[in-house]
Order: sequence, then C-alpha cells, then structure tokens
Amino acid sequence: MTVASTNSVTPTNARPVASRATGRGRGPKRSWGPGRPSPLVLAFVLVPLLVESVSVFWPAVQGFYISLTNWNGVNPPSFAGFGNYSKMFGDPVFRKALEDTAIWLVLFGGLSAAGGLGCALFLQRERRGIAVYRAALFLPVVFSLTATALMWQTLYQPNGMVNGLLSSIGLGGWQHAWLADSSTALYAQIVPALWREIGYVMVLYLAGLKGIDPALYEAAKVDGASAWQQFRNVTLPQLRSVNAVVLSVIIIDSLRSFDVVWALTQGGPYNSSQLLSTYMYQTAFVNTDFGYGCALAVAIFVLAFGVIVSYLVRAFKESD
Amino acid sequence: MSYSPTFSRRGLLAGAGALGAGLALGGCATATSTGGSAQQGGAVTLQSDLSSPLAEKAMQSLVAAYGKQSKYTVKLNTVAATTYQPLLPTYLTSANPPDVYTWYAGSDADHYSSRGLLLDVSSVWKTMSNYQPALKTLSTDAAGKQIFVPTDYYWWGVFYRKSQFAKWGLSEPKTWSDFLNVCATIKAKGVTPIGLGAGTGTAWVASAWFDYFDIRLNGAEYHRDLLQGKHSFTDSKVVDVFNTWKQVLPYFDPNGTAVSWQEASNQLIQGQCGMLLTGTFFADAVPKGSLDDLDFFKFPVIDASVPDAEEAPTDGLFASSKTHNSAAVLDFMTWMATPEAQNLWTQTSSGTVIPANPQATSPSTALVQKGKAMLAAASDLTQFFNRDSTDALQNTANTALIDFIQNPGKLDSILSTWQSQAQQAWKTA
Repeated sequence: MTVASTNSVTPTNARPVASRATGRGRGPKRSWGPGRPSPLVLAFVLVPLLVESVSVFWPAVQGFYISLTNWNGVNPPSFAGFGNYSKMFGDPVFRKALEDTAIWLVLFGGLSAAGGLGCALFLQRERRGIAVYRAALFLPVVFSLTATALMWQTLYQPNGMVNGLLSSIGLGGWQHAWLADSSTALYAQIVPALWREIGYVMVLYLAGLKGIDPALYEAAKVDGASAWQQFRNVTLPQLRSVNAVVLSVIIIDSLRSFDVVWALTQGGPYNSSQLLSTYMYQTAFVNTDFGYGCALAVAIFVLAFGVIVSYLVRAFKESD
Repeated sequence: MSYSPTFSRRGLLAGAGALGAGLALGGCATATSTGGSAQQGGAVTLQSDLSSPLAEKAMQSLVAAYGKQSKYTVKLNTVAATTYQPLLPTYLTSANPPDVYTWYAGSDADHYSSRGLLLDVSSVWKTMSNYQPALKTLSTDAAGKQIFVPTDYYWWGVFYRKSQFAKWGLSEPKTWSDFLNVCATIKAKGVTPIGLGAGTGTAWVASAWFDYFDIRLNGAEYHRDLLQGKHSFTDSKVVDVFNTWKQVLPYFDPNGTAVSWQEASNQLIQGQCGMLLTGTFFADAVPKGSLDDLDFFKFPVIDASVPDAEEAPTDGLFASSKTHNSAAVLDFMTWMATPEAQNLWTQTSSGTVIPANPQATSPSTALVQKGKAMLAAASDLTQFFNRDSTDALQNTANTALIDFIQNPGKLDSILSTWQSQAQQAWKTA
C-alpha cells in the first residue's frame, strides 16, 4: 500500500517548483495548494487510523457495549444498563482486588523506579566488563514471565530454596508456605515482578543519563557541588522527561500485571492476591460472565488512563 | 517494485472503507449468528481438549482407526485444556461451528442443550442398549433426548500404599470411626496421615472432600440440588459437612494448600503421607513399578442410613446442532460407542479409566477391576463438583474450601460469603 502511494506521488515531487506552479492549469486532479495536504500525508494518517479503528477502537467500543449487558456467551445478551458497574460497589472481591492493585502499584511501582534508577546510576560509568552487569540485570526482561514463574514457584515451595535458605541462616522461624499463606502471597509475587521490571526501568534511565550534558556536571563540580547536590540539582531535573516515560510504563505494567499472579496463585488463596487484572480474567474467561468482566476491564482502563493523564497534565504544566 | 498504475487514492480509501465497514458489521462481538458457508460433506471436525501428550496420541490413533474403516473422515483439532473451556461457548454459538466435541456428561451438557446447541444423538443410543442405565440418564437432557455419548469414566477413592499399611498393621477402614483410628495410628508413626495437594492451580481437589462428605451425610440428591442452587450453603446440613470435616482436619498435611496434587501423589509414593483422596488420573504420573504397591478404599461410610453414592466423572462426546454433516457425525459417534473403539482408547491412553461400553475390555489390573466393582455397587453416581455445577461455582468453592482448611474457626463467615458468591454464579449461568 505504502509503495503504491509513494510511487504515485514521486513524479510530482520530482518536478521542479516552477513547473509545479504551471502545472496547476492541467486539471484539478493533480493540483493542490499549500493549504491542502498531499495524498501521501493523507494516506499516512488515514491508513493507520483505519487499521487502528478496526483493530483497537471498534473492539473497545464493543467491550464497553458488552459491559452494559448480562452475557454468558451462550444466551443472547440482555441489556443491563449500568448494573455491572453498580455491582462493583457491593462486591467484596472487587474491593480486595482494588486494594491489592493499589498495594501493587505503590510497592512494585516505587521499588522498580527506585531500583531501576539506582542500578542505572551505579552502572552508568563505562568500566571494564560493565556491559556484563547491565546485560545480567536486563536478562529477565527477555524471558517470558509465565515461564520463569514456574521457577519462582519451585523456590517458594514449602520445602523450596527460600525456606531452605532461611533455615540454614538460623531463621527457620520465618519459614512460610509463601504462596499459600494469605498474608504473604501478594508480596511474594511482587518479587518476581520486580526482578523483571528493574532491568527494564534501568535501561530507560541509562538512556536518560546518557543524554545529560557532561558540561553540567563539570560546572557543578567547579561550583563545589557534592555528589548528592549533583544528583539532586543536575541529574534529577535533567531526567524529568524520562520520568514521565518511566511513570507511564510502571503504571501500565502494574495495572496489567497478570502473568506472574495467574501463573503462581491465580489470585488465591481465597482472593488474597487478587488483582484487578486477574479478577477480570477470571470473571470473563473462567466464570464466563462476560458482562461483568468487560465492566471490570473498563474500570481498569479508566484507572490507568486517569492516573497517566493527570500525571502528564501536571508534568506539562510544570514544564511551561 | 511493481505496482498497479490504476491504483488511485480514491480507490484505496474506498476499498479500505468497505473493508472496515464489512468488518464492523460482521464483527459484533455478541452476535451469535453471522451467517457462513456450509461445508457439506467435508471432514468432520473433532474438537478435543485432551491435550496431554499421551491422550493426544491416543486420540490421533483413534481418529486414524476410524478413517480406515469408514467412508467419512474425521479431522482432529486438539486445543489446550485451559483454553478449551472458555472457548467452548464461542465454538457452539458460532455460525459454522466444529462438529464434535470432547466434554463432560451431566449438568454442563444439559446447560448447552437447553439452548438448543446440541445435536440429538438418540439414534446413536439405539445401538447402545447394553450401557448402564445410569450412563443413559447422565446423557439425557431435561427434555428427555440423548445429547451425549459417554466413552469412559474413572473413579475417586482413598489411595494408600499396601506395604505401608502392612508395616503399620492397618487394614482398609469401612466406617468413619475406623477411618479416624487409621488416621490416629499413622500420625502416631510420625507420618502425615492425609495428603491434599490443593495448592496453586489445583485448589479444586479440595472439593472432592466436600463432595464426599456431602454425599455420605446428605445423599447424592441433596448434593446435586445444592450445587444447582436449590439449597443454601448456609444450610445446617452443609454446616454438618464442615463439622465432620473438622474431625479429620488435624490429620491433613499442613502444607496441603501449598502443594499441587502432582506433588501430593509423589508424597504418597514416597511414603511422606499415608493416604490421598484422589481420582485415578494421578496414576498417569506414577512410575510403573510403584503402581503395583498402590491400592484404594471407598470413602468411609459416615451415616449407614444414607445410600452409598460414588463420584464417577464421565467423559465423552457431544455434537453441535448446527453441523452440516450430521450423517457423518452420528456415524463417528456410533463408532466411538463400540467396544473396538473404546478398547483402542483404554489401551493407548494411561490405562486407569474404565470404558463406558460394558462389552469393552477394561484394563485387567486389580486396581481397575476393584474400581469398576465399587462403581457398579453404588446406588448413585455423581460427577464432580464442577461437572455437577459450573466452573464459576467451582471457583467459589475453591475460595471457600481453602479458606476453611486454613481457618476452620471462621466457618460461619466463610459459608455466608460462599452463598453470596454462589448466587452470583447461579444468576450468570
């Protein structure tokens, strides 16, 4: 498609400017003034828009429509208005999932941002063999978390490595059935999620750090700034644009955190590690309650969108 | 770099627009019928959730054997078991659905049949007069027509190792008090009496205990009605179930809710636990040599006045009512009900299932013969928690039962939460 449009336009572009002006009289088909976009530009806008509407917007509208119905996939859907949304307020599992998602957002988000920035600062200077360390930290991003979750599951077994390690250092009393205990299941699953996310955030921050003009540090040094002052007054302000990216990535990743939890506990035991994403999946695809499942998906979307937009608005205001 | 010189912008946009509009009109996600092309006379598609390597291979050889002796052909389409269940309604309600499906008998099949989605297979049942009446009842929908062809079933029992029981001087308990004595003896020997295996992903095995307590105390009829929403989980009869369960809870593996059933069956084989209530499917993973030392006993009788019912989950086939190929579908299902087909199945698969056709040869092992005799003597057969209800209700049970096993003191609040969650599930079904 792109090839065809490009070629159909090339002769026009190749024409010298003068002949373009004279060409105006040759017919309305080939003429466009400075105010009218070229067909190439139109194609670049319209074709992706069409693809996007068919593959993203239309399903999204459908999803919203389903959320207004009661539908189990077999019976014809019956219109329920906002019944599925009002159901959320009285649903204890939804409340639990919301709480857990908030805990997840704060712990997973905060620790991966802090950890990622820490690792980036630590590994930013070019030293011999530094690439090995960077690669090692980035490596978990490459693996599928569903597959590595199986490894974590083995570590967390009642007679697994975590408990073995605890008893060998004399902390046998701290042993738990980590994933089966309702008080530890959620936190035990944040660890593998962090293990993966920190490497990713580190790479984002490394790129940001590389973009800071070294002259700023030199100037700061000349002014007698300590390492902390350099970090506080040069590095952090310079990373502002990267922060916006990192924050969006972290919020999106925590709200869609699903793979670890579904692979390790499926939200159990008794909903103690239920996240909005796992609850949505369970409702729609295990319980085949598609209406309520779609309503939960809409709620997740509104939350993610709301948090990110409000942050971006604030960030842009600050930069103005 | 070839392109059509007649390719104009207007044409491109018009084409893309038409494509988009076409997709938009046909893509309504909740549409149950979108029209489609008939594929009369083509191969019958068999949608199968038997995705374990052993079972898939057995299915392939069955389909090949059918193709050799029939003018029709069957195309096997294996889907991972976890994906199959949520997709099943989509398959059945689509305009051009696959023809035949592997699935469970009972409540679930009836659920689809009441929406007119299943093919009437009464004509196949005319060739199946030798089948147990219980299996025919199980394959009959609420309207009285047969919609299911059972191929095999298996049983649940309390499995133990013969050598261990001999070492401890124990014999198979028949009554509840015998069973409690056995538990106490094993515990005194320093071994966990009862393994569970209701950990990550396999929490559902805990409902076997619930099922058995309920059918032993309240009977199979009450149990089925309870799962259909005709009784409440806060009923005093359900409270009795949990109070009886509390008597054996101290003998359960304290890590029972942390390990999977696969690990629990390993614990049994390695002698780390004395007994395990499980279905025969666990034997697939057991090394061949260890199988000889395994035996089982019937879940102990608690109230002698309640007729014995047993869990006998039945697998088989049903077909879509929208098939364009019903002659071939019925022919294939008739063949699957024959002793030859079922012999082939039991030979090539794990060998712990009982063929549904009484004329087929069951695996000759003592274990299978004993299981078959137990089921034949039962006054009633139940399927399993999710098969007698829905997967949505199974989820509510997983939550409630694991909570109970970890916090038996919270029983009242657990049961009222269970009831309110179950009401949601019944309303959606």
